[in-house]
Amino acid sequence: MKPLRVLISTLGLDQHEVGAIAVARLLRDAGMEVVYLGRFNLPPAIVKAAADEAVDVIGLSCHSWEYLYYVDELLDLLRARALDVPVVLGGSVLTAADARALEAKGVAATFGPTAAAEQIPAALRRLAAAR
Amino acid sequence: MTDRLTHSGIPLKPVYTPADVAGEYATRLGDPGSYPYTRGRRPADGAGGGWIQHELSGEGTARRSNEQFRYLIAHGATGVDVIGDTPTMAWCDPDHPIARHAIGTQGVSVCHLGDYRDLYEGLPLDRITLSHSLPAPFAIAGLYLVARERGADPARVRGSTIQVPFYCEDCSYASHMPFALRLRLAADSIEFATRAMPRFHAFLEDTYYISDGGLDAVEEMALGFVEIRYLVRELLRRGVPIDAFAPRIAILVNCRTDVFEEIAKIRATRRIFARMMREEFGARDPRSLAVAVTSHTSGLTLTAQQPVNNIVRGAVQALTLALAGVQAIEISAFDEAFRTPSPEAHLIALRTQQTIQVETGVTKVADPLGGAYYVEALTDELERRIVELVARIEAKGDPGALCDGGWFRVLFQNAMERHTREVREGRLGVVGVNVHRMAEEDDTLLRDVAERKFEPCRERVDELAEFRRARDGRRVRDALAELRRAAEARTGSLMTPLVAAFACGATMGEITGVMRMGYGIPYDPLGHLEAPV
Repeated sequence: MKPLRVLISTLGLDQHEVGAIAVARLLRDAGMEVVYLGRFNLPPAIVKAAADEAVDVIGLSCHSWEYLYYVDELLDLLRARALDVPVVLGGSVLTAADARALEAKGVAATFGPTAAAEQIPAALRRLAAAR
Repeated sequence: MTDRLTHSGIPLKPVYTPADVAGEYATRLGDPGSYPYTRGRRPADGAGGGWIQHELSGEGTARRSNEQFRYLIAHGATGVDVIGDTPTMAWCDPDHPIARHAIGTQGVSVCHLGDYRDLYEGLPLDRITLSHSLPAPFAIAGLYLVARERGADPARVRGSTIQVPFYCEDCSYASHMPFALRLRLAADSIEFATRAMPRFHAFLEDTYYISDGGLDAVEEMALGFVEIRYLVRELLRRGVPIDAFAPRIAILVNCRTDVFEEIAKIRATRRIFARMMREEFGARDPRSLAVAVTSHTSGLTLTAQQPVNNIVRGAVQALTLALAGVQAIEISAFDEAFRTPSPEAHLIALRTQQTIQVETGVTKVADPLGGAYYVEALTDELERRIVELVARIEAKGDPGALCDGGWFRVLFQNAMERHTREVREGRLGVVGVNVHRMAEEDDTLLRDVAERKFEPCRERVDELAEFRRARDGRRVRDALAELRRAAEARTGSLMTPLVAAFACGATMGEITGVMRMGYGIPYDPLGHLEAPV
């Protein structure tokens, strides 16, 4: 079976990479291919990379509040390009209220501070399979 | 924490005895205020000790941040400690397209001289300690120019600014400048302040921000010393006498929850610094040997789960720092996992410091743990490991080249990953995370405060447009062109043209951009802006 390809990025000027790197390694250890986009990315660059790299999931690591404003733009760009790639967000700043609001907008899943890391690979596989 | 190992992995015995402590008192410890300053920077004076009590501030505009300073001072803070928002820490103006959703949400937005006027409004600049986590040349230029405008003598200004040339690109303060330019700006700004603001610590080595991704205590201080040593050599190469600038070197350290390891680290740091300055760099002035240590309690140890527990962590870590005899403390506020400090969290952190100072009596005697078998044995071991790691890194080649080559980045990434794994696998116990957990619906105490959000300060974009319109455009362009030439020339201080450009209204983003051009890289490496000159 083809390994799952996951893009990992942070948004805007959010430079905290602890979570992004930890999740990238976790996914790689789970047998997935990680396209690590790193820092300083805006939605157009993330969507372009997702298309060019044909990823199955976009994962955004959030340690600032910038995601609150970039998520709409990102989802709009994906729709405009008819890219059916689930977007998931993770990070300590994601509260339960944020999670509900994000999922209502069309974010496929969120992993807040209480999420168990071991659940992430299985959750991403389920999301990709459901496309 | 695994049994019988410190956080950094030093094996421990069940108990320590006189056999674990080697060497002469005078050479290894010395009295407080005496070489090698293991026991403290200042002589025990019976005055009850104490430290500068400040809390990390900065939110929204400079005006709003100034209100935060006043609020803290009104509640007993004895210093100001300010940090820039993420655009500011990236040397980026708030009207840059990548900045728009981050303006003022994680610190203060300051990019031109008018902002610095607002930031310091009403503060007694010659009587209060002003600590800056801001791009150093601009913190120095801003403070210097505002002090002069207000008739305060810059020579009397006290405080500090972090210098981060080595690790900023890898540790959340990326400036998108080449190493050579970062190093030059650090050395130029230190030299400038040595002359113009001689009481100001313009060389604050910040090991806090590099270690809060997961470095252990040994790695933290080793990397700090690598940077200090490189900058010291650079200043000596330029002909600045060691005793002209060494008295104004300070170190901003992290404090995790492994109490004795952190105390030993700070005591070892003072001894390593003193020996290095005297024996290796030939310093003679006692003030060059006795390094000031300032500190932040660890943000990484704070949790989003049961956030109220973070108040306890802050208290334990601050007590640790008080016992180690540091010069200043900032407690990372209990809502740190969610946001920059709320007013409630600020006050709790300040009150925690005040309680330790007023009620515990720990400052009545200098270095109260000095002579304890365990503390001295651990201090010796930390010193040995830190010195050894510095030597190992320097043996790999020019640390500047290691920096450019990404060698440190790998080290940081491994440390981040190691920390996450240790918590996940339960080897590093964290209450509320991997032990003593609580159902999410029950975990409500103080959560309302911690989860409160506020909007980015987008009005800054229009304000900045107005500021740019109102200034003398030709003077600004001339000043920027001059700065670009100075950068291209590779020699001579950049501070003179930088201060001149800042004084006539050039912004931090513009100034940084033309200096980048002088080093042959784009004005805006993120590819959004056109150069003004």
